[in-house]
Order: sequence, then C-alpha cells, then structure tokens
Amino acid sequence: MSDLREKYEAVIGLEVHAQLLTKSKMFCACANQYGAEINTNICPVCTGQPGALPTVNQRAVELGIRAAIALDCQIRSESIFARKNYFYPDLPKGYQISQYEKPYCEHGKITVRLKSGEEKTFGITRIHFEEDAGKNVHASHGTVVNLNRAGVPLIEIVSEPDMRNSHEAGQYLRALHSILRYGDICDGNMEQGNFRCDANISVRKRGETKFGTKVELKNINSFRFVEKAIDYEIDRQIDMVEKNEPIRQQTRTWNSAKNITELMREKESAHDYRYFPEPDLSPLVISSAWLEDIKKVMPEMPVQVRERFQKEYGLSDYDAGVLTASKDLALYYQEAVKVSNNSKASANWVANELLGRLNAAGKEIDQSPVKSDQLGDLIIRIDKSEISGKIAKTVFEEMFATGRNPGDIIKEKGLVQISDTGAIEAAIDKVIAANPTQVADYKAGKVKLLAFFVGQVMKETKGQANPGMVNELVKKKLD
Amino acid sequence: MLTKEEVLKIARLARLELTDDEVSFYQNRLGRVLDYMTELKGIETREGTGVRHVPLDSEKFRNDEVVTFPDKEALLQNAPALEEGGFLLPAIMETE
Repeated sequence: MSDLREKYEAVIGLEVHAQLLTKSKMFCACANQYGAEINTNICPVCTGQPGALPTVNQRAVELGIRAAIALDCQIRSESIFARKNYFYPDLPKGYQISQYEKPYCEHGKITVRLKSGEEKTFGITRIHFEEDAGKNVHASHGTVVNLNRAGVPLIEIVSEPDMRNSHEAGQYLRALHSILRYGDICDGNMEQGNFRCDANISVRKRGETKFGTKVELKNINSFRFVEKAIDYEIDRQIDMVEKNEPIRQQTRTWNSAKNITELMREKESAHDYRYFPEPDLSPLVISSAWLEDIKKVMPEMPVQVRERFQKEYGLSDYDAGVLTASKDLALYYQEAVKVSNNSKASANWVANELLGRLNAAGKEIDQSPVKSDQLGDLIIRIDKSEISGKIAKTVFEEMFATGRNPGDIIKEKGLVQISDTGAIEAAIDKVIAANPTQVADYKAGKVKLLAFFVGQVMKETKGQANPGMVNELVKKKLD
Repeated sequence: MLTKEEVLKIARLARLELTDDEVSFYQNRLGRVLDYMTELKGIETREGTGVRHVPLDSEKFRNDEVVTFPDKEALLQNAPALEEGGFLLPAIMETE
C-alpha cells in the first residue's frame, strides 16, 4: 500500500459535535443530564408537542461564543436558526433546530503540533448551534426511544478539508478537544458521546485539484479509532480507484472489533433536508458589549497555560507545549510538581517516560496507571537520594505495569540506594582486590580508569550505590 | 403537476408508503401548492421590506436554570406503546 499511498493524496475534513456544559437544554428548561432515568428530563418542547415554543438558553450561547473566540472565528452579530427536516424516531418534531445559511460564526483556525515537531494550522469553516437528538435503543421486538438527550445543546464545528492523513486528523481532534475542555465549554467525554466526530474522506491522485467522492465516517468515539478508521478508509478508496470501481457517496461506521469500516446508509443530500428559517425563533443577536463581557471571563486557553508554564516552572517553550497539549495532561503535571516540588524533573518524567509509555500502550493521560501524586513521590525519592535515577526507571516501569506506589516497590525489591560509607567502601575494596592491573595503571597516570572502577562498584552493588559517593570514595581510596 | 418520481421521493423522505391512486392525487395536490408559490413570486418585494420573522420578544434569552416539567405521564400517554418508560416503536433499520 505504501507505494500507492505515494501516488494518491487523501483529503479529510472533520465535523465535531460537542455537547455544551449547561444545566438545562438548548430550547427548554429540562435538565441536561447524562444517565438520568429514561424519559425523566422531558417536556412539551423537547418531545415536540403541538404549540410548544422553543426559547434560547443564554448560557449555551455564551459557551458557543467562547469556542468561537478560542478558535479565532468571525462572529456574526445576527445569525439565524433553521429547521433541518428528516424523519427518525429519536427526533420527535420531525426536524432538528440547527443553523444553516447564517451560522453564528465562521472562518476560524486551529494550530496543532505534529509528531515531526512541526506546527500546522487548519481552517475551521464554521461553528453552529443545534440540538441533540434522543437515543434509540434497538431491541429485537422494536426500537425503544429515550428523549432525555433530545434538545441537549450542541455546537457543530466543521473544519476545512485541510487534513491529508490520519495523524493530522487525530492531532486536530486532540487540539480541539483540549480547547473545549480548557474553556469549560464541553466536558469532552467521548465514551458518553459528549464529543463526537464524523470524518469526511476522499482520495485523489497527487496533483489533482478536483476532490474525489467523499465518504462520511460517523460517530467514532476515540481519537485512536478515528485515526485507524481514516487509514482503513484511505486504503479502501485507493484500492477501489485502482480497480476502476466507482466510490459512492455513503455514510460508513467504524467496527472496532473487526478493524474495518462498514456501510451505514447511502447519504441524503443537503437538498433533501429542506432547510428553512425557524419561524419560532428570532434571529440570534450577539452584541459587541456581550462579546466583550464573555472575553473578560474566558478561562485560560492552552496558549496562555503554555506561557505560564514557561514563567512559573522555568520550562522551555517546547516542553511547555508538550505538557499543555491537553488540559488533563497540564493538570497532571501541575499536581506532580505540587508533590515533588521539582518542576524540571517532573517535566522530564511526564514528557519523556510517562508519555512515551502511554503512547506505546495506546492510552491517554486520564488512563495512566501511574497517578500524578505517585510520580511526584518517585521524584522526591530520587531527590533525597533514596534511589538513583537509574533505579528509578526500573521502579517506574513496575509502577506503570501495576499501578503500585513507588515506596512499596522499592521496599519489596530492596532497591533502596546504598549511601552507607562502610558498605560502599567494602565494595570498593573488593573491586580493587580483583583488578590489580588496572589499579597499577591508574596509579601510573591512567586516570581515565576511574570510570571503570566506578562502573565495577556499581555492578558489585547491583546499581544501588549512590553514584556520587562511589565516585568520591573510589578516588579517595586510589589516590 | 409533479412527476410521479418527485412524489415518490418526497414520500420516501417522509417515510410514507403511497398507493398508486395516492401518488396521482399528490401529483395534482402538491402541484397546486407549487403553483401557488409561483404566484407569490410575482409579488414585488424590495430588500428590507420583507419581514422574515415575527418580532417575538427578541433578545430575550432563557436563563440556564432547570425547571422540571410536572406531568411526564401526559407526554408518555401519546406513545403507541411503552416499554420500561421508553417509547416503543416498530424496529427501525439502520441501512436502507
């Protein structure tokens, strides 16, 4: 496939639906609450009773504006709600209130860091408000509809088709997720479906300017699955083009058990949704005074946290960038520093050891088996010379595998660093006795052999001797 | 008059099954609605004169506070059938 990948280029655009962190729904006062008892958060508005009228939740609009500000969008002073018509059991009104021709904001951008270290900026076409649908539970004898989620406020963030591979798409999603979390706009919980991603993918021969037919991948609930699904889809489409088979405009879904994409349905075109302006709602007016008020109380965004980390913790711009890639990671780091009181060492451990292992294990920071206070504890033990840096890596490995506390592991495996002069001297004496030639050479002026002796003593003590003390004591003995 | 295909397409979007008689009935009926809309196009409108929205209580938002609707039973009563508090409907197919 790699040769073919060279011949073709993938074009990827992403649509993200993010639930807003409000107490109540978008157009009615029912609770916006995950996991409530079936059909308890419902009322005439969100069940689509005749004559019920929607009212706009001010907080939802404020959170949407936060997202617009954080993503550098141009905000419309007057936007229009529209009805998107389709029939499905989880949509009791027969239409979803959304925004179409005039969304509340457009033309934004987001900058992400790629694994090459390079930074890349992707365009955001638009963000619009809409309401979530209810949930269908499929049973053998029918479909059971729960309308608790119907009317929960959403923003849909539509990117430009700027991504060219799964890694770029994954990094875009992570950066977007991070901004929404930092801004307290959306809780970002992907398992609960509070942050959902659809990907539009097409392929074309390199150099071609026209887009190929796009396939939409729906509702993928983890970053890694998005990346895998996109890779699979790119290969599938290239394969079809190579065989001269037509690519059909479809909606497909990711089957994470089989690692393939599967057909959901042929796509209805926008035309079939018969959008028209929502007659029950006035235009959404966002005044500049309101905008200024919202800007004043914006939570700290990733760029600002990155700057603060450089000032407060003395980190390099690069390290600060790595550690603020997500709110969870930044919080983890801050907590580790609070315990360890050593910002540089904490940065090294988190950015190198921990992230490296998480990556290899396919885990995100919130799934880390090593908790922040445990890592802080480990760093304290290095700083007080209880264990050496080298031993610490062994301890960390065990912590990552088992989730146990460093103190317990050190105790159980007898890894405490030897800082007892007598014990170290005994080991040195042993090494000196075993290597008379080297001792003679050293005394004759081959001082470089010092490293050899230190190494032998470390070996003798199974790496547990305090290296600084060994160095000092070896010199003392030999000179 | 709408074509038979147009009526069938609209029926499919509305998830309705029509008999042949109904199809020809709607070809005529929906056709008349469209004729009426064409007639409306003849009205002279200038930019700025059209009122798209009835000026409801504009700029009035709802505060983000939860108010529990007291009569959920009434809402559930309209369901064709209920199962453990959910609206029970005929099984829907994901693919068509």
